[in-house]
Amino acid sequence: MFAQIFRMQGRASALGVTLAAVAGFMVPIMAVQRAGFVNPSGWDIAEMLTMVESAGSLFPLLAIVLGLLLAVAAWSPDHRGQHVYALTLPIPRWHYVVLRFAAGTVLLIPVIAAVWVGGLVATDAATIPEGLRVYPGTIALRFGLAALVAYAAVFALAAGTKRTAAIIFGTLVGIILVQALLELAAIRVDVLRYTLLPLTDWPGPFEMLFGRWMLINV
Amino acid sequence: MSHAIETTDLHYRAGKSFEIRDLGLRVPAGAIYGFLGPNGSGKTTTIRLLLGLLRPLGGTIAVLGHTMPREQHTVFRRVAYVPERPHLYASLTVRDAMALHAAFHPRWESAIAQDLSRAFELDADARVERLSKGEMGKLLMLLALAQRPDLLMLDEPTDGLDPVVRRDVLMALIDYVSETGATVFISSHLVHELERICDWVGVMDRGRLVAELPMHSFKNGIKRLRVRNAPVQPGDAPFQLLAREVGDGLAGTEVWVVRGWLPTMHQYFEGVGATLHEVVDLDLEEGFVELLRTARAARR
Repeated sequence: MFAQIFRMQGRASALGVTLAAVAGFMVPIMAVQRAGFVNPSGWDIAEMLTMVESAGSLFPLLAIVLGLLLAVAAWSPDHRGQHVYALTLPIPRWHYVVLRFAAGTVLLIPVIAAVWVGGLVATDAATIPEGLRVYPGTIALRFGLAALVAYAAVFALAAGTKRTAAIIFGTLVGIILVQALLELAAIRVDVLRYTLLPLTDWPGPFEMLFGRWMLINV
Repeated sequence: MSHAIETTDLHYRAGKSFEIRDLGLRVPAGAIYGFLGPNGSGKTTTIRLLLGLLRPLGGTIAVLGHTMPREQHTVFRRVAYVPERPHLYASLTVRDAMALHAAFHPRWESAIAQDLSRAFELDADARVERLSKGEMGKLLMLLALAQRPDLLMLDEPTDGLDPVVRRDVLMALIDYVSETGATVFISSHLVHELERICDWVGVMDRGRLVAELPMHSFKNGIKRLRVRNAPVQPGDAPFQLLAREVGDGLAGTEVWVVRGWLPTMHQYFEGVGATLHEVVDLDLEEGFVELLRTARAARR
């Protein structure tokens, strides 16, 4: 069963996964080159690390795009057929959802591997001054977890009905509107902070996507 | 008699205008049960309720002895479903669609799938989204039959197919049933198509089951009678009067449409002082129309 679902899902997302793998390979190389670690002309470490950090923001972006792409590829064939095929299979619904989710999770692996290899290649070609260290494995692992979180979130959203999606998006828009109204009324209450912070700060599920992504650091 | 499908007081509502109420279906095991009804009568909704794809507001559903929708995935090991609208994944090839189906259905027989694929002249490398309506109909039937079900739920499986494809699909179905004794629940608004293959018939109209009876009773029991000096009230007539209207011939002549007619019943007319001039067999379609007309009149 898994092999068939994986095959189907793999075909649907092959192009996206390939492009993401190429991007995942290129981002660390670009980060290191842009920061001047390859053939350095001078050592402004602070400036170089700022450049690494700036380029590192592409990792969570790529993770989100990858998660979105895989989740959409997982559910769009079922949405098109109004889920009738899946619902008439002789397995419990949770089993089918697990198969779909697992297939997408496996498809993250080539991109994570590309990020890791890209990190290795980039840092291998770089001249690393004393006191700094390279983290290709950590970045790849963090990228993998971030992509998994993004994939899981969109997968859950996409698995639901349009009504569920509308409720979630409506809630988000509502929060933003409330914040805007409060600001217009000069009331100093940060609703965004109190509602979204639990999601984006530790131990929130999206914490993985935020913060500094440093391939090279102290 | 055991029943492959049995519902009691089934109730479902979709929006404000459509409702299925008090539906009590009894589909005998081993029967080819034709589920007739005009468009919008609730056939597809009923099938989706039976398969657990919709949740009823009330009533009970048993399919192959299992309670639905609670035991849905158990039931689908033994039930094949051909929906009204194709539900297969569009990007797959015919070969992939067969492989996917085989992976999930424990009783799948590849040899039968191959035989049917050859008989239907399906191109294994053709993508599902590129199949013609006829090819799609054949593929859906192939998938349904190769999973070796005990019950086939077919929702207008031949709708829109040309006569040749329709014959191929129905022949494959009949071959399977004669070989395995499986039960078939087939919905259609094409009365003549069901007349040829079904041994039981259920008629839906506006969300209600109007009739459920063996096909021979349905076909043979409905007659059009030309009656002179017909009584105002049929009284204790031994048949069911479905409809009556003024005849277009002799004055005082009426045309009666009756159900449950037997040749010996002509004595009834002598007893009430009427004269029976003519007894005309109605074909299934005419009988179906009369049945609907009577049911609608009774509801007014």
